[in-house]
Amino acid sequence: MLPAVELRGIVKRFANVLANDHASLSVLPGEVHALLGENGAGKSTLMQVLYGSYHADGGEILLDGSPVHFANQRAAIHAGIGMIHQDFMLVRPFTVAENVVLGLDGELQIYQEKRGVLDLAGASRRIEELSTHHGLQVDASARIEHLPVGVQQRVEILKLLYRNARILILDEPTAVLTPQETAKLLETLRSLAAEGRSIIIVTHKLHEIIEVADRVTIMRDGKTVATVAKEDTTEAELARLMVGRDVLLRVRKSPMKRGETLLTTRGLTVNDDRGNEAVRGIDLSVNAGEIVGIAGVDGNGQSQLVEALTGLRPVTGGQITMEGTDITGSTPSGRKDCGIAYVPADRRGVGSVGTLSIEDNSVLCNLRAFTGKFGLFRDRGRSRSHARDLVARFGVKAPDIRFPAGKLSGGNLQKMILGREIMQHPKLLIVEQPTRGLDVGAIEGVWAELLKVRDSGQGILLVSAELEEIRNLADRILVIFEGRFMGELRAEDADDETIGLMMAGRSGKTSGKTRTLTHV
Amino acid sequence: MFNLFERRLAPLDSPSVVVTSTLGSILLALAIGAFLFIPFGANPLLAYVSLFESSLGSLRGFAMTLNRAAPLILVALGTCVAWRAGFGFLGFEGCMTIGAAAAAWFALVGVGEAGQGIILPALLFWPAMLAVAFAAGGVWAGSVGVLRTRYGGNEVLISLMMNYVAIFLVQYLVSGPMRAAGNLPQTDRFPTESWLPMIIPGTRAHAGILIAVGAAFLVWLLISRMRVGFELIVTGLSPLAARYSGIDVGRRYLLAAVGAGGLGALAGLVEVLGTQHRLMDGLSGGLGFIGIVVALLAKLNPLLIVPVAILYAALSVGADALQRSAGVPSSIIFILQSLIVLFVMASDFIRYWKPRLPRFGAATAREERTDA
Repeated sequence: MLPAVELRGIVKRFANVLANDHASLSVLPGEVHALLGENGAGKSTLMQVLYGSYHADGGEILLDGSPVHFANQRAAIHAGIGMIHQDFMLVRPFTVAENVVLGLDGELQIYQEKRGVLDLAGASRRIEELSTHHGLQVDASARIEHLPVGVQQRVEILKLLYRNARILILDEPTAVLTPQETAKLLETLRSLAAEGRSIIIVTHKLHEIIEVADRVTIMRDGKTVATVAKEDTTEAELARLMVGRDVLLRVRKSPMKRGETLLTTRGLTVNDDRGNEAVRGIDLSVNAGEIVGIAGVDGNGQSQLVEALTGLRPVTGGQITMEGTDITGSTPSGRKDCGIAYVPADRRGVGSVGTLSIEDNSVLCNLRAFTGKFGLFRDRGRSRSHARDLVARFGVKAPDIRFPAGKLSGGNLQKMILGREIMQHPKLLIVEQPTRGLDVGAIEGVWAELLKVRDSGQGILLVSAELEEIRNLADRILVIFEGRFMGELRAEDADDETIGLMMAGRSGKTSGKTRTLTHV
Repeated sequence: MFNLFERRLAPLDSPSVVVTSTLGSILLALAIGAFLFIPFGANPLLAYVSLFESSLGSLRGFAMTLNRAAPLILVALGTCVAWRAGFGFLGFEGCMTIGAAAAAWFALVGVGEAGQGIILPALLFWPAMLAVAFAAGGVWAGSVGVLRTRYGGNEVLISLMMNYVAIFLVQYLVSGPMRAAGNLPQTDRFPTESWLPMIIPGTRAHAGILIAVGAAFLVWLLISRMRVGFELIVTGLSPLAARYSGIDVGRRYLLAAVGAGGLGALAGLVEVLGTQHRLMDGLSGGLGFIGIVVALLAKLNPLLIVPVAILYAALSVGADALQRSAGVPSSIIFILQSLIVLFVMASDFIRYWKPRLPRFGAATAREERTDA
């Protein structure tokens, strides 16, 4: 069978980085093809070349066997290629129909005959047809900002179908979805492939590939190292191909040695930026020597909860104590003094300052410890040796400590931030989405460090949307939905289905396996 | 445009690229500016030579350039402190005016009756003078900082509007409470003890440049050596990261506002005690804005600000000389200055985007092959 799309020997060079080094990919019609690789392996660049955003320095693109050249994205879209980015490209105050027709010209008959008026009603009809045909329930007149992320993604898919895309590229499509939403998406992708369309999924999540893909192409260091059929491979083999060595996706935990109670909250309520109640009465306690995991789909109040615990957001009600002391009203630096350290979810926007060096970033949260006698002048000698220690101890890969933190890869940056917080020897470490967007090798490293912190008798509050992470690390699991805990599970009792249902708002009480949280 | 340029993965930021692109854009501006001389029958090359000869070639001219540069440096340093902390302060005209008024008041009060000697010993007089002016400007700009941090006001708008308040306030002072006898709305001439001392014999170069260079050193110390300065920079680069790392962002904004206002006020002090020797209406003459431009040209680097301000001042001094000697309107030089600013700012584009003409080359290469 002639491939629907074929990339041959693509070379793409940026200043001094070879992003794609003779990368080749061929996707058959009706195939779901996964493009797998660590961050920085060149997956996105390769897809940007196919989508016309970048021009390759070498190699060629063939559509149905004939070479093509795309001057820009518009040309690629015209040729039937569509791409869904990880961050959706939707205008939030616009309706679904408006978003779908945005950027289209006359050829798809979005204008009424002769009068040159936008025919939104006609477009809506076509969207309804498409959505019933493909089982993508969407109300064409709803505004994007009122839709949950899962539905927004359907709108993105409809956008491509409206343009008759034959080749659909999805960049990390499941990053923001619940397990149930993910299952639904994968089903949709299968049915689109069954119609003869080609689907390319860019991802680093192994288990999804096993579920949906027909074939997998693995990239490493800009090269396409292998293409394998799903039947002929295993998760372990894929992981090994991806990082070039064997990796352990299950961690070995030593038995928990639970100590004193560190952090407690009682009836905590917190508002979000728009003044709506995001955290609705949360009781929580974290002890020394344990990892408490908070699972939940993004946007269910966990960010606001963490910000309230770290002093970055005022609470509207309830109480927070640390080792018995009330810290409800204390400042972020006051809480650091109590022994609370925090690794934020947004590594680049909050956890580090990208243009500053590794050295500057390594002292960011503990500046006073790196000053001279009167705290006026910085002691660069000490901050330099601290940064060198940090880089060496946590294996941050960087040319030197003057290297800008923003240019580190996600995994290395996370190691630096995590290391910085751990080296302050906190009593309690709050970590939020610690491995989001990281590749398998880096995840392994972060997990190992977190377990070391736990085993040394410090407490950890782990907030994560990744079930695998929560299940592997946490000693107790709390599931948050719309600002409330749906229940508490012991790690042994938790399985994906139970947690998934609770993440979707089904109370833990209905499941026999769960132990519901009793309010004191 | 999207077909002609492609975003670079990382901007080119090696020193050699920055220097080349900056020098290139200055030369380009001079080349384009050369056309402006042609209608006046002047040889552009000779005009450029005499421009710099009059401002940098003689000791007298250089002294004038230094006097012109001193307030520019101080305003630019104020911009550096405020903007690096992410505080979009534009109120330097107002701070200069307020600083000048405070300096005038202290000169008239602190020296006593004209000619009767200084009340304070000279050793204390100058530090006190600088402190008074700095404090006046600091309080003035600090109020903008309070409005921003306490009530979430927009510091760009407020500081801009407060320029007018300051200017009218001084207009009121010189036509009312501080007015000297006579027809003009101005104060008495200050006693000579309060004039900035001359520093180069035989010229009019006054100590303003020393204050400016000293301030540049202190700002450099603050920004690159002190903990508070580092906190300011982190606040400016990422308020979120600053808050996360325990920095009190509001206080840092306030500090930046006070520092910027104080430095702006020192610029006013230099003008009024160095050049005019009396307080009158309209003293800042736009220096409060030109200083911002100088700071931007120097990429908000306190040590780079000094040479850039001197070059900028040299262009202005040379422009005046050119108008006197050759009858070429000095507005040409202002056009030239604007071109330099625009081109230097625009030269960043090439560091972030790379021209994209690969198909061109590929196509011709293929044709050559078929020919052979």
